[in-house]
Amino acid sequence: MSDDALEAELRRAVELFDPVPSELLQVAVEAYALRALDAELAELVFDSLSGPSRVRGDRAPRMLTFQVAELTVDLEVTVTADGGRVVGQLMPPGPAEVEVLGHRPVTLATDELGRFVYDDVPAGPFSLRCHLAGATVVTEWITV
Amino acid sequence: MQGDVTVDRDSTGTLFRAAVDGETAAWKSLVEGLSPLVWSVVRAHGLRDADAQEVYQTTWFRLAQNLARIREPDRVGAWLASTARNECVKVIRTARRVSPSDDPEVFDRAADGRTPEQAVVDAEEASMERERMRAMWQAFQELGENCRRLLRLLMASPPVSYQEVSATLGIAVGSIGPIRQRCLRRLRVLLTERGFR
Repeated sequence: MSDDALEAELRRAVELFDPVPSELLQVAVEAYALRALDAELAELVFDSLSGPSRVRGDRAPRMLTFQVAELTVDLEVTVTADGGRVVGQLMPPGPAEVEVLGHRPVTLATDELGRFVYDDVPAGPFSLRCHLAGATVVTEWITV
Repeated sequence: MQGDVTVDRDSTGTLFRAAVDGETAAWKSLVEGLSPLVWSVVRAHGLRDADAQEVYQTTWFRLAQNLARIREPDRVGAWLASTARNECVKVIRTARRVSPSDDPEVFDRAADGRTPEQAVVDAEEASMERERMRAMWQAFQELGENCRRLLRLLMASPPVSYQEVSATLGIAVGSIGPIRQRCLRRLRVLLTERGFR
């Protein structure tokens, strides 16, 4: 049997024994309806997990910065056994409502300085929708 | 199921533009056509099931969020592959996760479980063919980690580019062909040991 024929058979075996789980397909289909048409997208401009690989066993919090126009969202994510603890700061500072999107959606209020804490973020996809005076900003998805 | 929808580069671009314009059905076709590609990239990193599923979801959420910003609709498959790869690398670097090679669960999935797809095969195909596919899957899992990762990535549908394979596995583009041949040779030996040829 040629390499190509063998590979074709292996491809069939993979499709049989390791298919995309159907519930995942459904989540991806639904992602379309959930996309924010009304919000500005704050891009991930810094992530401490990018770049040169970290020392193994390094337990320092993950630092992330999202940015759109003059607004930045700084996050510090401390990994826990089944998720993470997120400390955030909006700049320029000010009160805002922050929706946490993902497996366990919740709405938080920042303090007067634009700070917020969420202790119990489940592992998985994570994004924030921030309602500010006169604007709604959504951060790019990351995986906690 | 996944064989029903094939997405070539032309139709990918067309579907993508329709999805940008708000056509839900086009998005669904994109998801069905390109999900096996995303899944193969994630699997090639040897993530645990739970992590693999999270990365798959983040990847599609990111595409939905970035629809209006993708400059080359025909290359959305490549965009998905590199996004999934970047997310996999970050998940592997997250302190919670063990290194993939320490994790015995990685390639155990579904070896003996009966998926709906397999049930269909049971009904439609002779048992010899079924046994052969099972032997193929078991032989695949006995390969070394490097061969499993390479072959799993090359099984992607639609296929990933050799540049993407190189970036994912950290091997030179020129080495992919020879390593693939060697891995297939080993697979053939394992299959022969099980009485198949």
